[in-house]
Amino acid sequence: MKRKFDLPLTITLAVLALFVFIPMLSAFEFSIRTPVKGGYGWDQYLWAIREEEFFYYIIRSGWLAALTVVITLIVLVPTMTWLHLSKSTIRPFVDGISLLPLVIPVVAFAVGAQISFPEFVQDTVLELPFLYFVLALPYAYRTLDIGLNSIPLKTLTEAARSAGANWWRTIITVIIPVIKSAVVGTVAITFALSLGEYTLTVLLHWDTFPTWVTFVAQENILGAIAISMMSLIIPFLVLTALTLIAPERSTQGRK
Amino acid sequence: MSSKSLTLRNISKRFGNVTALDNFNLEVGVGELVALLGPSGCGKTTALRVVAGLEHQDAGSVSVGDRDISQTPAHKRNMGMVFQAYSLFPNLTVEENVAFGLQMRKVSKHVRLKKAHELLDLVGLDSQSKRFTHQLSGGQQQRVALARALAFEPEILLLDEPLSALDAQVRVNLREEIRRLQLSLGTTTLFVTHDQEEAMAISDRVGVMNNGVLEQIDTPDALYNKPASSFVASFVGTMNRIPAHITDGMVEIFGSKIVALKRGNESGEVLALIRPESIAVAATTQGNAKVLTRSFMGASSNIICQTADGTIVQSLMTSASTGDLLPGSSVQLRVLSSEVLVANV
Amino acid sequence: MTPNVIEGGAPSRGRASLTSFLKNVAPALPLLAIIGFFFLFPIFRLIYVSFMSNENTFTLDNFRTTMQEPYRSGFFNSIKIGLFSAAIAALPGAVAAYFIESRGPVKLRRTISVMSGVLANTGGVPLAFMFYAALGIQGQLTKVLKFFGWDIYAGRFSLGTFLGLLIVYLYFQLPLMIIVFSPAIVALRREWAEAARNLGASQLNYWIKIGIPLLFPSFIASFLLLFASGFSAYATANALTIGDIALTPLQIGGLLDGNVSASQINLGKALGVVMIVISAFAVIPYLAIQRRSARWQKR
Repeated sequence: MKRKFDLPLTITLAVLALFVFIPMLSAFEFSIRTPVKGGYGWDQYLWAIREEEFFYYIIRSGWLAALTVVITLIVLVPTMTWLHLSKSTIRPFVDGISLLPLVIPVVAFAVGAQISFPEFVQDTVLELPFLYFVLALPYAYRTLDIGLNSIPLKTLTEAARSAGANWWRTIITVIIPVIKSAVVGTVAITFALSLGEYTLTVLLHWDTFPTWVTFVAQENILGAIAISMMSLIIPFLVLTALTLIAPERSTQGRK
Repeated sequence: MSSKSLTLRNISKRFGNVTALDNFNLEVGVGELVALLGPSGCGKTTALRVVAGLEHQDAGSVSVGDRDISQTPAHKRNMGMVFQAYSLFPNLTVEENVAFGLQMRKVSKHVRLKKAHELLDLVGLDSQSKRFTHQLSGGQQQRVALARALAFEPEILLLDEPLSALDAQVRVNLREEIRRLQLSLGTTTLFVTHDQEEAMAISDRVGVMNNGVLEQIDTPDALYNKPASSFVASFVGTMNRIPAHITDGMVEIFGSKIVALKRGNESGEVLALIRPESIAVAATTQGNAKVLTRSFMGASSNIICQTADGTIVQSLMTSASTGDLLPGSSVQLRVLSSEVLVANV
Repeated sequence: MTPNVIEGGAPSRGRASLTSFLKNVAPALPLLAIIGFFFLFPIFRLIYVSFMSNENTFTLDNFRTTMQEPYRSGFFNSIKIGLFSAAIAALPGAVAAYFIESRGPVKLRRTISVMSGVLANTGGVPLAFMFYAALGIQGQLTKVLKFFGWDIYAGRFSLGTFLGLLIVYLYFQLPLMIIVFSPAIVALRREWAEAARNLGASQLNYWIKIGIPLLFPSFIASFLLLFASGFSAYATANALTIGDIALTPLQIGGLLDGNVSASQINLGKALGVVMIVISAFAVIPYLAIQRRSARWQKR
């Protein structure tokens, strides 16, 4: 492997870093300003955390996202396992349908949602996880599809079944562990998308963390900036840490 | 363009802390097919890639004929190379793939496609000339790769484990085809593999490598019958290792005294290296060993026995002569050759 | 190759097709039901209602209005921003993806992949804040540029102009390009470059004859997806502009909110349908190209 200093790569990374971090750091600098005292401080962050709505909305978005993930896994994993095993004729159809949400702009979808659902659906916030599920479907489906393709599914299933496991046990104890990284990827994408979903949520007049941030901006702009920073940097750091800690898989490796 | 000889002199190559090649020397004569054989990591592929120019040697030189090409860039070396798999260009048809080398040499379209078809015909794939890679089987792809490597009449042909990714039957057929083509074109060829059966079956000479060093390079016969080291002895074919004691240049095995061929300073307690086909097994009431298993392989059978002191001995005999040797039966082992190789314990 | 197991006995034709239908379809019903109700139903309803007049009769008037001002400009601007933001991000993104994927160590590639995922999802108010802080009137970068003699606010520039939006859109379009295009780079096998060299091709020859032809369809496909992303963006445009730029997503949002009332109550639906059609023109070719490329991209 070449160990020598790679100039084009370094330049690329430098330019990207500038492009990505200048806005981020500028906003960060704003967020730690303390206009009253002069100088810098964590005042805005402390203010944000002390706002009772802060945790209310984080938890709200959190459990909505978690619910979306649960729906995604419960519905997709067994169904896709079956699709892969059974060679059903409707598989191409389902494959195609899973991509359809990519074609529909979220704004258009929001209009459709607003005029379609019966009252009882529109009145409950529980409609959101299902809608988020639809939005995340193309990505979740694809991730699981690749994962299921990469394992000897038929053999594993037959081995588990002949050892006495019923379908649910097979899926939970055999299949999911084997496609672990695909499942983790699906969870990550779905959770991230649901946590950050703004357009559909706001057009359907629900309030979650992202919409609350917008609202806060109207009264306390510096505080809103602080909250935005947190909502950006924390997932970013968490995901980066996870990536660096996770053991290297050889799927992407070159010889 | 007639083929030339290929010479590697004192080639050394390191990757970080790992020495892939250590003062490696090799000479392949005009029209010869030499195989480099060894386990993963022995340096055989590195040697090949240094010849191709895909890796640059830390020290030493590579010559084609009497031309030193050590500093010549890879795309000017005029060698044809077949990779292990996946080397056909997916955006080009089979015939465009084969004609690619000629296209790079500015040969006109008409002429190069004609030559491509000639070669595709030689490998039996002319009918597939308008297809794309993903429409071909693994064996077919490798044959196209072979045609592509030979289309521009290179001076040297390089093969990097070309059969390793293929099914067993395809492998046997294709290796014969490679040899056939190589002989008819008279191209100097260097062939890298970890499969000793493959190397022995088609090569003029085989070089056995271990840890960046060439342990022995000889004809298949010589390698098999006169392995120069313990490593070569066990890598090529199966070898029994029977404990014995050297006295006056002889060892006693199964009751007979046999000449011990020493390669170095072997003395005292040694291991006698004996091929399975040099050991005879006969059923008897009070023999010197007991049968463990018998594997029927058609014309011959493999009998695995265990002597009183626990040594496992493998014998290869015709199936006809071993019909009554059941597991557990008592047998008498006997060495058929008058001399054996010995190695230190 | 044995055929699928045939259960004992031969049921009558009617029953056979029902059981085989159930076997073939039943396990997928939960998924299909959810997609059907929460996705297909709203879309079909949207299309249906877009043809309804205020009196619930069939009409094309809603669509006629979408082709008039200010909606016509809305489409024009939205398409324009989709095209421009895709155009600006596509080549740099592709080049960046190339260097990162082909020369970066594993950890770097993974980190960039995660970062790109987060950045591509960034938008709306948080993104607006970041750019106000950097390039706003009091922004850090604005001050730096002023120091070097370039006052970006000397003219009529602001982040709420078309150009401003374009710059901000770049922030999520570029990472999106990296995400979407990287698989094509990764799929370029080392063996092809080596075989090309061995066969006498210089680096340039390799790129012209093999590398670029292989990457080009994926590049176009990625461009199309970026277009759809820029075209459909709502949150960021909403955060940055004050309603002075006609953009279709914002216009639809306004109609939904009731901030803007139109004489035709189903105008927003028609706008939505036209949006879907335009988006489909980009996304469907994107999917088709990706599908074709998958043939040589399998590892």
